[in-house]
Amino acid sequence: MCKAQRWSCFWILSFLCLFFSGCGEDSETVKITFIGPLTGGVSAGGLGGRNSADLAISLRNQAPDTKYKYELVSLDDECKPNIGVQVATKAAANKDIVAGVTHYCSAVAMGTVDVYHKFNLPVIVWGAVLPDITYGNDYLEIHRINGTMINQNTVAAEFMRSQNFSKWAVIHDTTDYGKGHFKYFQSALSKSEGTILATFGVNPDQQDFTAELTKIKALNPEVIYFGGLAPTGVRIRAQMDKLGMTQVFQGTSGIVSDAFIDGVGGLAEGVLAFREGAPTEKLPGGKMFMEAYEARNFNEPAEAYGAFAFAATNLIIDVIEQVGPDRMLIRDELNATQGHQSIVGPVTFDDHGQNTIAVITKYVVQDGEWVVWEDSEYASGKRFLK
Amino acid sequence: MSELKTKLVLLLGVALSVVVLYGFLYLEREWEIGVLLVMVPLGVYFLKRANALTYYQHAAREMPRFTWISFALGVVVLIMLLRHEDFALLMLTTVLLYATVSLGLTIQFGFAGVVNFAAIAFFGIGAYSMAILNQHFLHIPDLLIIFFSGAISALLGALLILPILRTRGHYAALITIAFGILFRTFLEVNDVLGGPQGLRVSGLEIFGWDFGNSFPNELGGGSFYVAYAIVALVLLATVYLITRLIEASWLGLNMDSVRLDEVASASFGINGPRWKITAFMLGNCFAGFAGAVYAAMYGFIAPASFNLSDSLLLVSIVLLGGIGNPVAVIPAAFLIVVLPEKFQVIQEYRLLLFGIVVILILRFRPSGLMPRGLRQYFAGRFG
Repeated sequence: MCKAQRWSCFWILSFLCLFFSGCGEDSETVKITFIGPLTGGVSAGGLGGRNSADLAISLRNQAPDTKYKYELVSLDDECKPNIGVQVATKAAANKDIVAGVTHYCSAVAMGTVDVYHKFNLPVIVWGAVLPDITYGNDYLEIHRINGTMINQNTVAAEFMRSQNFSKWAVIHDTTDYGKGHFKYFQSALSKSEGTILATFGVNPDQQDFTAELTKIKALNPEVIYFGGLAPTGVRIRAQMDKLGMTQVFQGTSGIVSDAFIDGVGGLAEGVLAFREGAPTEKLPGGKMFMEAYEARNFNEPAEAYGAFAFAATNLIIDVIEQVGPDRMLIRDELNATQGHQSIVGPVTFDDHGQNTIAVITKYVVQDGEWVVWEDSEYASGKRFLK
Repeated sequence: MSELKTKLVLLLGVALSVVVLYGFLYLEREWEIGVLLVMVPLGVYFLKRANALTYYQHAAREMPRFTWISFALGVVVLIMLLRHEDFALLMLTTVLLYATVSLGLTIQFGFAGVVNFAAIAFFGIGAYSMAILNQHFLHIPDLLIIFFSGAISALLGALLILPILRTRGHYAALITIAFGILFRTFLEVNDVLGGPQGLRVSGLEIFGWDFGNSFPNELGGGSFYVAYAIVALVLLATVYLITRLIEASWLGLNMDSVRLDEVASASFGINGPRWKITAFMLGNCFAGFAGAVYAAMYGFIAPASFNLSDSLLLVSIVLLGGIGNPVAVIPAAFLIVVLPEKFQVIQEYRLLLFGIVVILILRFRPSGLMPRGLRQYFAGRFG
């Protein structure tokens, strides 16, 4: 008993020491949070975004004329709404964090906007494309640097019609991402007299698509439209080949990633996809970004949305440099953003915090790389979409 | 051992746990977490070597009611200590709610031996009931809605019990897994229930007190999560008490005998299916209660929150704690919910490390952290 008492006293004392040591806080640095999926099926996009945001921070910290020292707090939302709300609360409740670059998955962003509003944390969404994230509420805290799926699908439908395709079969995942893409693609297509022969909603975890693809094969469309993320897209494209289907595979922004090409290998040739934003490498700052990213030797590529995370982080830092690390001031200053130059083109937020200058870029896979359509051998007539 | 001395030992145990829990929830920085992660297992090891744990167990057995009441009060103290820490309170409340669901699973797995790999589906049914009822039936008081949510979960579970009763072992497990997947897919294609985008849920309002506001200043002020934490604590305490009473009574005895040998108990006139149904419905009812509070607190629910992996997480809470021991689910729920969160600093490697921790615990304590003891036929009231 005596021994037990001695031990308990020892441990209680040790814990007390810990608490008191935890009290001192240094306030020199300004913290910005990054939230995205760092684990799970779509982690490639999240890690690319995390690295890009990290790059933006470290480049700023190296610059001699910055007023504050910046620190990135990156959190993993696992692409699940409940975990997203948890980490969003964690970030928003932390008084040291003044702004956020948040979310790749639309479902997560939908759940967390209320949290940011409740705690008055200004955030810029860097990857989620569902229109309702900015347009479904009047929250002053929520901004988005990338375009929405409405713009993306309007351009997609017009472009595909101009290539003389007229019959589609659609496979979309049943998340808001896939369903939304299908909805806006359908409405855009109905304006330009294209027809959708069949539509299949699938679970993003589904492994075998033989049933859906066999039915599609019988209908013989010209194009298979896929609304979903890279892992599902890889499976569908690979299984199309098994069934000997040679239709054009048209994807959405979710498959514009190196993970998609790595997954399907040679079959990726001629796959089309559309993404918001000007092509990074063509903008003056974009080249610098790509080089700096290379120079840091990250383990993962920047992926399609890395540039957006980089631009959002930079925008936030610019605002903090101007108005100081105060959530309210940052929020108001962000809302007033007009024609801010960034590596994804000029940024102007409308009254819902949505970036209105949404350039859509068309991509095609050529020799194992995503190439801007206009630069590809497909556009110059050297190669043909089958 | 004198009564006073027993009480002192029990209070010391509660105080120590509160300090450790406070440390885990409050501390954020890497080295602090690291130190805690090393110190706590070491502390437990030395306490065990010094026989302090057995000593505490004896004391707890002697005064069961004093033990659990002092623990509940300990958690109240913890909530008050953390009242300005929104995030820590959110985690604590999540732990309390997950522990509530796990108590339901304890009755199903541990007492009656009914497998259920769809716990998160029943949790989800509770959450969606809360969302829908709160939105469309404004005149129903929220406390009653929590109750209804549990009842709806139990009723929908009653449909599932029919095929489960007609199958055995792995097949019964497969049926529940199928139900879990069915539930999620149903939500995703059903636009009335918000579809894949999910639903917004308004906060609780109990006895005219709107939980969306911060905690009233007369009581010390603090985050609005304080109110949810207290509701979750009351819920857990109630459910715990019910579980304990069932375990101690002839109901628990019947369930135990059905689990151990259905044929033998049938030959003694015990109606196996009846006890399985009772346990299954009761467990799902608990899950529904917890789901309702969870939905109101998070303010947003979507099908993606109710995955098979979350069901497995709940099952792993029960396994990690020790099947059939109602007390064990509480520390296990704490570990399973808080550990991955605390590993955020190592980012993408955290789930890997978390998996290793769970495997290590199960390797060295195969029957869980706190295995269920032998039934005591002549113990204290709730022992």
